[in-house]
Amino acid sequence: MVIPDTTSFMIAGYAVIFGVMLVYLVSLALRFRKLRQDEQTLDELDQDRQR
Amino acid sequence: MNWLTPFLKAVSAVVWKDLAAELRSRELLSAMLVFALMVIFVFNFSLELDVQARASVTTGVLWVTFIFAGTLGLNRSMAVEKDRGCLDGLLLAPVDRTAIYFGKTLANWVFMLIVAAVVLPLYSVLYNVNLFIPGLLLVILLGTLGYVAVGTLLASMAVQARTRDILLPILLFPVALPLVIAAVRASSGYLTGAALDEIMPYINLLLVFDVVFAAVALITFDYIVEE
Amino acid sequence: MSDPKPRWLSILDVVTIIILTAATLLVFLYAPTEQTMGDVQRVFYFHVAASWTGMLGFIVAMAAGIFYLAKKDLFWDVVGLAGVEIGMVFMLIGIVTGSIWAYPAWNTWWTWDPRLTTVTIMELAYAAYLMLRAGIDEPERRARFGAVYALIASLSVPLTFFSIRIWRTIHPVVVAGDTSGTFALSPKMTTVFVFALVTFSLIFVDLLWHRVRLGLLARRVEEKKLRLLD
Repeated sequence: MVIPDTTSFMIAGYAVIFGVMLVYLVSLALRFRKLRQDEQTLDELDQDRQR
Repeated sequence: MNWLTPFLKAVSAVVWKDLAAELRSRELLSAMLVFALMVIFVFNFSLELDVQARASVTTGVLWVTFIFAGTLGLNRSMAVEKDRGCLDGLLLAPVDRTAIYFGKTLANWVFMLIVAAVVLPLYSVLYNVNLFIPGLLLVILLGTLGYVAVGTLLASMAVQARTRDILLPILLFPVALPLVIAAVRASSGYLTGAALDEIMPYINLLLVFDVVFAAVALITFDYIVEE
Repeated sequence: MSDPKPRWLSILDVVTIIILTAATLLVFLYAPTEQTMGDVQRVFYFHVAASWTGMLGFIVAMAAGIFYLAKKDLFWDVVGLAGVEIGMVFMLIGIVTGSIWAYPAWNTWWTWDPRLTTVTIMELAYAAYLMLRAGIDEPERRARFGAVYALIASLSVPLTFFSIRIWRTIHPVVVAGDTSGTFALSPKMTTVFVFALVTFSLIFVDLLWHRVRLGLLARRVEEKKLRLLD
């Protein structure tokens, strides 16, 4: 019996798996960076206020 | 059981308040009924089917009608409370908060049953099918009860959010789905005269749903209305 | 920086990446090619693992909800939100890969079978949870309502599964085309399958830890903002 050629589907599947995971990781990284910048700005403003 | 009497009194007070208010203004019921009639008529024109095929679609149409009308009723019933400040007044009363939940649920159930009482004979006449089968009526009772049980709970949350109008259907649909599936399949079973052991699993599911969500409401309602 | 990254988390990151690489290699090089549907069957390993991770998120959200209602500590709210977010991402992977796998296997993009329908409903419940939170501004009420909805949804989702399974038992559906659908798992396949499950569980824990840290950071920033406005 001939094994059907479904390689393209396999590639599509793995593209989705790794693609979505990557997008989520990038989203996490970007959100972390933004919040750290916010935290730094707020800390500086706080210090300015205390002077 | 000293707490039972004041509890029941509180429940009936809430129920009568809603029913009496509705009797005077008739806003809720007219909206629900008009909506239900619209759905029935639109289905007639969109599903050009012969008599045979109609039988199998009937339960779907019926339950869609009940659900849409029910959601309308749920939304408006809680919104009225919030807007007129009645909710705060009720909460100040020295009574168990779950009495408010049960009262509202029962009132909403009555409204849904009134809609059913109008829709059933109308549908029977328009589509020439006898819907007054005891089994079907039982399913409608159990199904609408479960729907308002979980719907009132979710509506009390939705009404406190900014996006209140569209939020209730979004919250309710995934949660009420097992109830709707069971209700539709059981109704179908009774309408087509299926064997009882094909219908019983769905009836059991309806009962489980009703009991589970009544219990959940008992436990969580306090958390929803606390200030 | 008020919260340096814990060393254990860095170690977990490295371990997770290594194990994920190993799992991927196993899938492509060690697992045999399945006879009836060919290469696309390899999607199955990560498809099931991703769906499993999606469900883990749901369980975490439910547990965190109960803990929040009991203890009123907003930490549990952060955990619950993290669980929902990660669960949603992986469940999405599970649903899409399930569809991609279904087409060459059963010649249909979608089957209304109990598992597939239930996970889609779960995904909708996740989305509803997020929309509920989005509509509430007070953090305490947002946490409370989220917890209650998580509890309600976690009870109704299993009921959905059973209702559809009852339906399919009474009215089984015949899938047009190749009805063999399922395939037998050889020992090699089982190894890869289990390894994939372990891999994705590890990924879940790793991402959860990161996401909880993000949530705690967000709360700290909020608090600093409020203090500054006083």
